[in-house]
Amino acid sequence: MDRTETRLQECFSKVFPDLSRDQIRDASAASVGAWDSIASVTLLMLVQEEFGVVADMERFEEFTSYRGLLEYVREACPDG
Amino acid sequence: MLARVDQADGAHLKLAEALSLAAARHDGNPTVRRVWLACGFTPLHLVTYLKARALTSRREALDIRTGVFGDLPGNLALATADKPAECAVIVEWADLDPRLGFRHAGGWGPSLTRDIESEAGRQIDRLIRAIAALAETSAVALCGPTLPLPPIGHTAPSQETAFELRLRAAAASFLARAADIQGVRVLSQAQLALESPAGERLDAAMDLATGFPYTVPHTDSLAKLLIQALFPPPAKKGLITDLDDTFWRGIVGEVGVEGVCWDLQNHAQHHGLYQQFLAALAERGVLIAVASKNDPALVAQALGRSDLLAPQHLLFPVEVSWGAKSAAVSRILSAWNIAASDVVFVDDSPMEAAEVQAAHPDMTCLAFPRSQPGRVPELLRRLRDLFGRQHLVEEDRLRAASLRGAEAFRQESGAAAPDEFLSGLHGTVTIDFTTRASDPRALELINKTNQFNLNGRRITEGEWRIHLAAEGSFLAVVSYEDKFGPLGKIAVVTGTTRDGAVAVSHWVMSCRAFSRRIEHHTLDRLLAHFAADRVELDYCPTERNGPLSDFLRSFTELPACAATVVITAGIFEERRPALPHAVRGIGNGSDRNATSGMLLEGVP
Repeated sequence: MDRTETRLQECFSKVFPDLSRDQIRDASAASVGAWDSIASVTLLMLVQEEFGVVADMERFEEFTSYRGLLEYVREACPDG
Repeated sequence: MLARVDQADGAHLKLAEALSLAAARHDGNPTVRRVWLACGFTPLHLVTYLKARALTSRREALDIRTGVFGDLPGNLALATADKPAECAVIVEWADLDPRLGFRHAGGWGPSLTRDIESEAGRQIDRLIRAIAALAETSAVALCGPTLPLPPIGHTAPSQETAFELRLRAAAASFLARAADIQGVRVLSQAQLALESPAGERLDAAMDLATGFPYTVPHTDSLAKLLIQALFPPPAKKGLITDLDDTFWRGIVGEVGVEGVCWDLQNHAQHHGLYQQFLAALAERGVLIAVASKNDPALVAQALGRSDLLAPQHLLFPVEVSWGAKSAAVSRILSAWNIAASDVVFVDDSPMEAAEVQAAHPDMTCLAFPRSQPGRVPELLRRLRDLFGRQHLVEEDRLRAASLRGAEAFRQESGAAAPDEFLSGLHGTVTIDFTTRASDPRALELINKTNQFNLNGRRITEGEWRIHLAAEGSFLAVVSYEDKFGPLGKIAVVTGTTRDGAVAVSHWVMSCRAFSRRIEHHTLDRLLAHFAADRVELDYCPTERNGPLSDFLRSFTELPACAATVVITAGIFEERRPALPHAVRGIGNGSDRNATSGMLLEGVP
């Protein structure tokens, strides 16, 4: 697991403190009951804070899984 | 260590930190307080920040209830129905008219401005009614519009239109009307501007995408101020000041009585501002004393100067000697009979301040910036923060005078037999059963009294209102005066009555009223007023309530931990000393001896 993923997992664990690291890797709005629109926004804000990337609110609807968000972070912040 | 003269917690909390805090439970205080947040937008992480700020400043977990998006009056009604002890209310421009926000497209043309103004005026009236209803049972922290108006004016942004100015005036008038409602605390826009610059508040992208309009730093600033307004820290009671290069410019022993100065001409205006501020504090009832290493005769002359902005009669005691400052401070605390934690010490010398701080670690010690006049406003703002209070009451005016009277009282009381001395005071105890929550003095006494305090428990304004509105509750406010002058309202007893018993949840009495048997008169009157056969006291020993414990111990054995202590009417009659004062009871209803709402029993 690279540093970007470690930092993103930290963001997820702030929003979903009950999820294990393995569960976070597979987390999505469909599989995690607590993942609602508020959780999505909070995750996006945390990513913005942690990685210094300005969240693209037009792609807000895409951020419904850990993997989707990881992809977005890697794209927006290639140096981690 | 000398406290820094600045905002102690000026840094913003990151969202990650706020989330961690909000998720935590404070170990020492597992209770969760139910608080409402009423606003017209989606509150999102404002809820997180309110929880986080409550934990950092109050070490208390909050359960925050919110309403529905876009309906502030409806949310205020929901909050009112839920009767929380505390409610935070935020009114943004879009709550006055949706066209003043970014999420509606109702038009910004010049033809609509009159209609927007009218609608805003009607909405303000609705909000005032809703906030007044809410404040009947809850403490309300109200924040007025914090976001910029949309680009609705026809001028360039550097210029205001009359329409925008009228809107701002309407909002200011709304907040002023709200501030006049008992129980409503309006957040300071000036303080908010210091913490959150106006241009860095709106997150338009977030507003459009989610309905939450604030940037993260602005969210944190608002949360911090709302929590401070809902749960204000207890105000400090006294200030001890140094003289040379603090109260005035110059060392009186070197430049002489006429050489010390505090005016603009002598480049000493910052000392004058400080004096002026001390005089204002004294007028509000704050105790002001002097601790100075100096020649007492010279200081007496200098303090006799008629051009002082904080004149000598406001300063008590004046401790001038060549001994340690910490010893002088100890003597002042003894004369005031208050704890070091309630006092602020100001001195230009870091060494003196450190010496006082080491001896009195709970005291707030501040540096006077004698060589940096530009930092004096910062010091005065910090002092305003430390001494800020919700209400000013008549007792504030009496406090300093009664402390001087206490000195005469102590001298006379030492020379006479207790019964004879007390009868000679010609005292009158007034016990008022008609006071309600609208009198701020009763709650103030409960929240700042330590020594004669039944259990040391503090209570918020919201909890106070709920308590007094409960069925069977009572409130007795005790005032006293004698030949040494009036002490004002100096004691409070509250609780409920049931089955021939008076159950007392809080009983406090100011230390200024000790040694006069006012507590005996109070208990006597309480039993008579409610025709009760016993008083059940919710007692808890604390580090500082020895005087209250000693009083109860004269009637019964006391437990070592929190428990109900019962004093029957029979035991009280058997063991009480003579009651030396006249008693004036105000209140009717169950008062068995009263023929009207008021009676006067001349005892001596």
